[in-house]
Amino acid sequence: MARIYEDLTTIIKRSKITLYVLAGLIILVLAFYWKIQVLDHQKYWRMAEANRLRELPLTAPRGLILDRQKVILADNIPSFKVSLVREAVTDYERTIDSLALLLHLNRDELKKRIERYRFLPAYEPIIIMDNLKLEDVSLIEARKDEFPEIKLEVEPRRYYPFGLTGAHLLGYLQEVSVDEIRTQPEKRWRGGEMVGKAGLEKQYNDILTGREGKILEMVDSLGRPRAEISRTEPQPGRNLELSIDFDLQRKAEELLQGREGAIVAMDPRNGECLVWASSPSYDPNRFISRFSADEWLALVNDPGKPLENRVIRGLYSPGSTFKIVMALAALNEGIINESSTFYCSGAIELYNKEFNCWFRPGHGNLNLAEAIRNSCNIYFYQLGRRLSIDTIADYARLMGLGQKTGVDLPGEKEGLVPSTDWKRRFLRQAWYPGETISVAIGQGPLLVTPLQLACLTSVVATRGLKVQPHLFRGTENDGNRERINLPEAIMEKVIEGMWRSVNNQGTGQGAYQPGFEVCGKTGTTQLISRETAERLVQRGVEVKKTHSWFTGFAPRQNPEIVVTVLVEFGGMGGQTAAPIAGQIFKAYREKYVRQTNLQGD
Amino acid sequence: MLDRRIFREIDSVTILLMVVVSTVGIVFVYSAIYFQASQFVWRQIIWLLVSLLALLVAIMIDYKFLISISVPLYILMNVILLGLLFFGKLVANTRSWIVLGPFQAQPSEVTKIAVILVLARLFSEYREDRLSFKGFVVSSLVVGLPATLTALQPDLGTALTYLPILVGVYILTGMRRKYLVIILAVVLVTGFVGWNYALKDYQKKRIETLLTPNQDPRGAGYQLRQSKIAIGSGGLIGKGYHKGTQSQLRFLPARHTDFIMAVIAEELGFLGLLGVFGIYFLLIYRFFSTVWVSADRAGVYLAFLVTMMIACQFLINVMMLVGLFPITGIPIPFLSYGGSSLLANFLAASLVINVRMRRFRYV
Repeated sequence: MARIYEDLTTIIKRSKITLYVLAGLIILVLAFYWKIQVLDHQKYWRMAEANRLRELPLTAPRGLILDRQKVILADNIPSFKVSLVREAVTDYERTIDSLALLLHLNRDELKKRIERYRFLPAYEPIIIMDNLKLEDVSLIEARKDEFPEIKLEVEPRRYYPFGLTGAHLLGYLQEVSVDEIRTQPEKRWRGGEMVGKAGLEKQYNDILTGREGKILEMVDSLGRPRAEISRTEPQPGRNLELSIDFDLQRKAEELLQGREGAIVAMDPRNGECLVWASSPSYDPNRFISRFSADEWLALVNDPGKPLENRVIRGLYSPGSTFKIVMALAALNEGIINESSTFYCSGAIELYNKEFNCWFRPGHGNLNLAEAIRNSCNIYFYQLGRRLSIDTIADYARLMGLGQKTGVDLPGEKEGLVPSTDWKRRFLRQAWYPGETISVAIGQGPLLVTPLQLACLTSVVATRGLKVQPHLFRGTENDGNRERINLPEAIMEKVIEGMWRSVNNQGTGQGAYQPGFEVCGKTGTTQLISRETAERLVQRGVEVKKTHSWFTGFAPRQNPEIVVTVLVEFGGMGGQTAAPIAGQIFKAYREKYVRQTNLQGD
Repeated sequence: MLDRRIFREIDSVTILLMVVVSTVGIVFVYSAIYFQASQFVWRQIIWLLVSLLALLVAIMIDYKFLISISVPLYILMNVILLGLLFFGKLVANTRSWIVLGPFQAQPSEVTKIAVILVLARLFSEYREDRLSFKGFVVSSLVVGLPATLTALQPDLGTALTYLPILVGVYILTGMRRKYLVIILAVVLVTGFVGWNYALKDYQKKRIETLLTPNQDPRGAGYQLRQSKIAIGSGGLIGKGYHKGTQSQLRFLPARHTDFIMAVIAEELGFLGLLGVFGIYFLLIYRFFSTVWVSADRAGVYLAFLVTMMIACQFLINVMMLVGLFPITGIPIPFLSYGGSSLLANFLAASLVINVRMRRFRYV
């Protein structure tokens, strides 16, 4: 009707087919939407939830480490750290460039660090800088919106208020290594977490660590928090109260200033260590940061070995201090009694070899107590001649040498007590009787740690009670004492000699303290290593070719404190180690004994 | 010259449907960019009023007249597109915008109308049953020139929306199968050459993304992933207006433009989506009914090509959101934020209304 001029039926038919096709397509698309929206709804719902919720860890403050009077030795202070959230990075190279510029970081190192943690999920932040200076913090804060991919957070950071003091004992923290994260059986550590890597920080890491808290928050697509959903507060780690006396500790470290050596003091009644000094020391604050590998390596490679805890890791010949063991062995084996005498002419020929006394003119006739007082070598050569090396080894082991003391610090060394069996096994040689003579005055292959000597002294002081040395007060077996199989009377006889050594112008007189009957034994060890001595010559230090020992306790009756001092290259034991020990006894007495007396009045 | 009678014939149904869809769009633009300045919403409302006014003015002019001036109009628009390539301001990495004070306009949107008018003129006297070779070449060039200029801006998305117009011509003229073979060959060759020499990296990435959506979580695959999460998590009844986490927390990219349908799907669910699809279908159906009552061949071409343009753009957009089509930056007509696109669509629709109004002329 309408179309007079034209016949449009063909093209209208074609347009109708098009409509049908379009309608069909729309229905198909609708079906697809139905599948996503209704059939797969659960799956996408979960993805949407995961999209918007983020879990943030809250670092738990580490437990404090305190001395016996609650002086804080290891503290926590707030510190800022910056992390990179790779999930929010749009242009990786550009981000690295601008971050390196903003934070004054080395671009390659930054990149290397991020690469190292590549295996972590992209939402887990990688710490790129810690221990920030305040001006850096404000700089980052001001440019926060430009860098949605970085996160600025406060974390409690370890701080050792006294720096060098007690460093070996406290240990230090380091970032958990990539391998440790990778091989951990269950998820325990995060990337960048700080864990104890030495000392008490390592030993009691689990106690100190506490439990991390978490924040569940809603975030937008750039990772910016919009609202907090829930928060679990972190549980701080437990505090560690040590048996260490900070005042004595500091005194001991002062005394060791400029020397290489160790001082350990412990209470023979319960095994509590009061002093634990190793010199040279280091400042753990200097490499608490995650980014101070260089400083740490410098310490590792320092020839003075400042990282080494000499109290349990330094191995030395005991020198004349070993005469205590010899005396106990000879008395108990019935070879001598307290009045048996030997004659010292200054030298003696044994097994076709001449052995000297340190006092060339000779001591003349002396009994056991006098022999200990003067540290006469000839007397003890005579004992060595009469005792087999294996018997000596038995007594040495009985007194705790050649085995770990079990103190609560990692890395303790065993030392060495030689025997025929040992020599056969490790050197594939038979034992020469002549070697026993060297062992009799604490030379030869014998090796002990300062702590082992302190424990040995403690057994003598208590007339035969062995205690477990420890630093952490409050473990269950505190003060457990075990009687060793030696009569008290024998101990008394040795103590008489040790008393004379200090109080009767013996070798140990440097440790003498009026009114505080110190008993002790000096020791001087010939150096095994010549290289160390040569190194010292190069450094322009006057070389004393011997290590200097003193180990003793006080007072004679009801002893309260054992002190063991080792000074490397300190010369004769009586010269260096004994006066240092005397200072410790003095400081102890001034602090503890006088107070008790006043209370007694 | 204006017949009073034709005012009664103004297609209020079409206009109403368009206003409804546009209003739904504004409501969800408001929801999608709540955290940002609300000036987007006001701007879009002003654009809607401007577009309505432009539509009312445009339908006053007989489409016959518009067709008669189509060739100079077409040439003018192509000159503008060419000029943009050299003098255009770089906005969001493309030279597709003319900036006029606070408003920006995309001439490539309006150019499509000129293309449709030229094609209607070309085929208004064409009575062959099948498309001749000459007709095939000429019509392809008419569409191809501005499409290429747009693609060079580079705005691949808008360039792609020219294609349904050409397809519309092929359908109406009854193209022979041998031309289809030629087209396929040309597409394959340009596809190969384009892929290796012309396409920018981000465009290639988007196409690759369609094939492997989970490869690059922050690139184009990220957009598709977030879009699907938004749609899927909406479920049957949705999370409620203004409560979609994907859009409110900005996981969804281009929420107020290309991905506005995903916002609707998330907040109103499948049922809401069905409603919007329903309105669209009514609109498209209404356009088609105009095709069928058109008075002359030129009217049929005008109405059909406009319908193809709008319907296909709608279809491509909703397919894009769920990964049935590469993410190419094609907004959804009437719904997406964007002034010149809204104006262009209203002007295009005005041609359809124009044809319907004047269907009784020869009675």
